[in-house]
Amino acid sequence: MKHILSIIAASFILAASVHAQQEDSWQKWGPTEGLDAGGFIVRAGYVIGGTTPLPLPAEVRKINGFSPRGGVSLGIDGYRMFCKRWGISLGAHFFWEGFHTNADVKNYYVWLEQEGEITKGYFTGTNVTNTEMWGVTIPLLATLRMSPRWNVSVGPYMSCYFKQTFDGEVYDNDEGIGYLREDKPTGTKILMTRENPTPYPEDFADNMLPLNVGLEFCFDWKAMRHMNVFGKLDWGMTDIWRAEFEAITFRMYPIYATVGVAYRY
Amino acid sequence: MNKKVFLLVVPSILLASCIKKEPENTECDIEAVSLHLDRPTDYFYHDYDTLQMVISTENEIVFTIRSYADIQSVPTTLRITEGATIYIMSEDGAYVPFLSGSSVDFSGEKEHKFRVVSQDKVWIRDYTITVVHDKPSEGNMSIDFESYHLDASGKYYIWDAPEVFTDGEWKNGNPGFKISKSSAKPMEYPSTPVAGGGPDGSDCIKLETCDTGPFGKMVNMRLASGSLFNGVFDVGNALKDALKATQFGSPFVHKPVTMRAWLRFEPGSVYQDRDANPIEGVIDEPDMYFTLYRNEDEQGNKVQVDGNDVLTNPYIIGKGRLPHHYNADGSDQLSGNPIHGVTNEWQEFTIHMQYTTEPDPEILANKGYSLVISFASSWQGAYFKGAIGSKLLIDNVQIFCE
Repeated sequence: MKHILSIIAASFILAASVHAQQEDSWQKWGPTEGLDAGGFIVRAGYVIGGTTPLPLPAEVRKINGFSPRGGVSLGIDGYRMFCKRWGISLGAHFFWEGFHTNADVKNYYVWLEQEGEITKGYFTGTNVTNTEMWGVTIPLLATLRMSPRWNVSVGPYMSCYFKQTFDGEVYDNDEGIGYLREDKPTGTKILMTRENPTPYPEDFADNMLPLNVGLEFCFDWKAMRHMNVFGKLDWGMTDIWRAEFEAITFRMYPIYATVGVAYRY
Repeated sequence: MNKKVFLLVVPSILLASCIKKEPENTECDIEAVSLHLDRPTDYFYHDYDTLQMVISTENEIVFTIRSYADIQSVPTTLRITEGATIYIMSEDGAYVPFLSGSSVDFSGEKEHKFRVVSQDKVWIRDYTITVVHDKPSEGNMSIDFESYHLDASGKYYIWDAPEVFTDGEWKNGNPGFKISKSSAKPMEYPSTPVAGGGPDGSDCIKLETCDTGPFGKMVNMRLASGSLFNGVFDVGNALKDALKATQFGSPFVHKPVTMRAWLRFEPGSVYQDRDANPIEGVIDEPDMYFTLYRNEDEQGNKVQVDGNDVLTNPYIIGKGRLPHHYNADGSDQLSGNPIHGVTNEWQEFTIHMQYTTEPDPEILANKGYSLVISFASSWQGAYFKGAIGSKLLIDNVQIFCE
């Protein structure tokens, strides 16, 4: 019995000291000015992701290849903690992001207009798409300090694009199948091959919206006193195409993740 | 590091796992028809005539047999779009399922109606299949381009040709032009009729080298030479392999020796290469030729000349062409001083077929040779070179046979 009491006493002492240590670490890993102070975080990261319809339409049969393009994000966040656990942040992240994909499609409706000339119909074969975007994302996030060293932030963001490119081409797939049925599935069958691929019109990107709104999720881990390792996901909630653009019949959303390091003031 | 790998892997998994169930096919084509006969050449001129590949714009399938052949029920195989179903119209006018390979009674040139329904049951296409007897043809021909009409879509003109020519129609690149320039009116196509424009005040035909617009530029086919020929224009190949889209010639049972035509030509102002670079000092030239080629090889396979080899195929036994400058190696030489002599005034031109091999009368009588007649408003138009605006007017074409 005496033995048990001493164990309980010992564990109380231990718990108290751990608690004291934790208090110390909340201080140690928190804002330098105090637990409810603010500061800045300068972030540099690698961006990877894609712009995609969600869910993928049934016309997309197979993804043959995917590779990121660009992939640079540089930004700064100003943050303010209201108490030990809660705070907000507002930032500006400059990015250059994009991707290349190669997908097999079946009966994929295309509608192309150039200088008043219209080509439309159903394409079966391989569709290659490349897109790159340069811009700035302004996230406004609520931050929860889950532990002394872990922060989770969630909130809306708005991206403004300075420049966007969207190009690609269509040709036959690995089985040699590549054709457009003009107007409708019973229309003229026009064969297409990789020897003479049909590119997207040059001005395709002109139909992209300059703004996108979505949700950002950000995870920070304080690796060193002033250094964070972070991962964040920008999930676009608005279509990248202008509403009147008919060449692509489904909505497409930019979904890009960033991993990187940050310097914390 | 793990996190990075994770972030790389997640999107791929997300995408891959999102592939939906494959939608059902929407197409409903007859792609090929073959008739099964024990001795095909008792009925047809060639073994290969029992098989017809059907191009996507075609829905009237006609087999031609010897004038004396008596055809009855023939097992008929139809190759159709995967998943589609095929029906044949029965005596009482109802469509009943057709089992490919079943016998069809083609006696008396009876026209059979077929209907193909797509796998998703939304789309249908109707076809007719007929076996007709060959009609005797006179060798000499006079062609005046008086008979023409708009195509089914109402977009461009089609000219009736002598019956011995494939489908009884002249062919040209108009269906290809329609793909690139959907907004063009019928009179803005490369091949158009000119009412009362002939040398005798009758209608004639005008071939004009036209700009193919933004789509033509996109696929680097920036101009379309006006063209006129006999054979098949397979519009499906117009983008994939444009030279292959023009399949020249129709079987012919006479020995052609001379071709005459009234021509008028006005070159466009700037000659350009395929990439639209202007070429200084070159004047565009019109083209006119006729050739005769053996349409079956030693193994009995079909020989079909197209834009790649219409003047060079080794099975060609005779040809005649408008005068032109050639390089020492026989290749074309474009110059600022063409020698064809065609001007902006109507003139009659005569060219003679130069035979390298005399046609065999037996083979000739069995449709073993095909005759090609071809005109173009730009000599190198098949290679998308020429001067936009070059115009060749043609009337009163005559073919003389021995």
